[in-house]
Amino acid sequence: MRRAQRGDSRAFEELVQPHQEIAFRVAYLITRNAADAEDAAQEALVKAWRALGRFRAGAPLRPWLLKIVANEARNRRRSAGRRERLALRAASPGEAAPSPEEAAVAADERARLLAALDELPDQARLVLACRHLLALSEEETAAALGVRRGTVKSRSARALERLREAYGSRA
Amino acid sequence: MDLERELRALEIAWPETPHFSVATPRHARWRRHATGWRRHTAVALAALAVAVAAAFAVPQSRAAILRFLDLGGVTIEFVDRLPAARERPLSADLGPVVTRAEAEAALGRPLLVPHLQPLPPLHLRNRVVSLVFAEHGEPVLLSEFAFGSFFFKKLVGGSTSVVPVVVHGDSGLWLSGAEHAVFFTTVPPRLAGNVLIWQDGDLTLRIEGRRLTEAQALDLADAIYPGMG
Repeated sequence: MRRAQRGDSRAFEELVQPHQEIAFRVAYLITRNAADAEDAAQEALVKAWRALGRFRAGAPLRPWLLKIVANEARNRRRSAGRRERLALRAASPGEAAPSPEEAAVAADERARLLAALDELPDQARLVLACRHLLALSEEETAAALGVRRGTVKSRSARALERLREAYGSRA
Repeated sequence: MDLERELRALEIAWPETPHFSVATPRHARWRRHATGWRRHTAVALAALAVAVAAAFAVPQSRAAILRFLDLGGVTIEFVDRLPAARERPLSADLGPVVTRAEAEAALGRPLLVPHLQPLPPLHLRNRVVSLVFAEHGEPVLLSEFAFGSFFFKKLVGGSTSVVPVVVHGDSGLWLSGAEHAVFFTTVPPRLAGNVLIWQDGDLTLRIEGRRLTEAQALDLADAIYPGMG
């Protein structure tokens, strides 16, 4: 961290490298577009690099970084003015499916759940995606969404309720 | 039905995570071919010209930050409107004076300077070595930094001219006309005058002067190399 704060870009890249994937995915959830997410994450890293001198020593890096990435992604989405669907796809279960029939049923359930999630309002969709798809902590989710931890809890509870209704109606 | 558990169990087919770098932003792909430029200057210069033309061809109606170019440790963003930046002396915020040995240790290679007697004081900040000297009665700032060790950005308004040039067989850019803003990593942004930027292997060099002409800047750059001045 000291090397990075003194201007060593390689040291900075080593610091953020473990968080690049999660940063890109947070940006993707917000922009709903891989190209915009890439631009947002790239620009956010540059901004983080410039702001590193103000980073509080000893504080966790990931929430700070995710906050910058999410802000940049929101700005990009606003300026792009697009309303794209997220279109998340479930990965293939591979060898885990016990039979073709069960695999088909499981795939259908996953697709329904993702479709229900995608139809939620942004606030609800993002809080659930951050907490459960990306497995972010409450603190990290709060940083990414720009809200307090308590808001993450209450928003998650309400979002789950809405998802339950939407998913149920698709059964 | 435990929805939270079901959500966590979902394996999402995320888009592949690109490689990110503060030293090599994705927007500008030139630097990835930097080694090739040295060997194929003519091809590189043509590509540079195309890239500059492409950068200016992006419609103005898009986002405020529109286009990016990269050269060595410098990123150039083309914007509609420059952010707030002050005009300050060329010698401002260059860092403490260091010996030539300290400067070369920071760069990791010999310094490239014109033949000046005596050599002006060398300054070092964030591994950028700078010196200010007079050329045709005007102050000129020469800065050098090692490839990948430093990042700074220029924001260029629509009325600034950016043209590709060749310096000692390497690719470069000449920025002139309207002032542009320059951002270093740790000092406030300032307005810059005419600037020549070029690469020499893993070194990025930058010459700035408010009234510097392209011919003068190229002469100065050539004078840095033994047998060329």
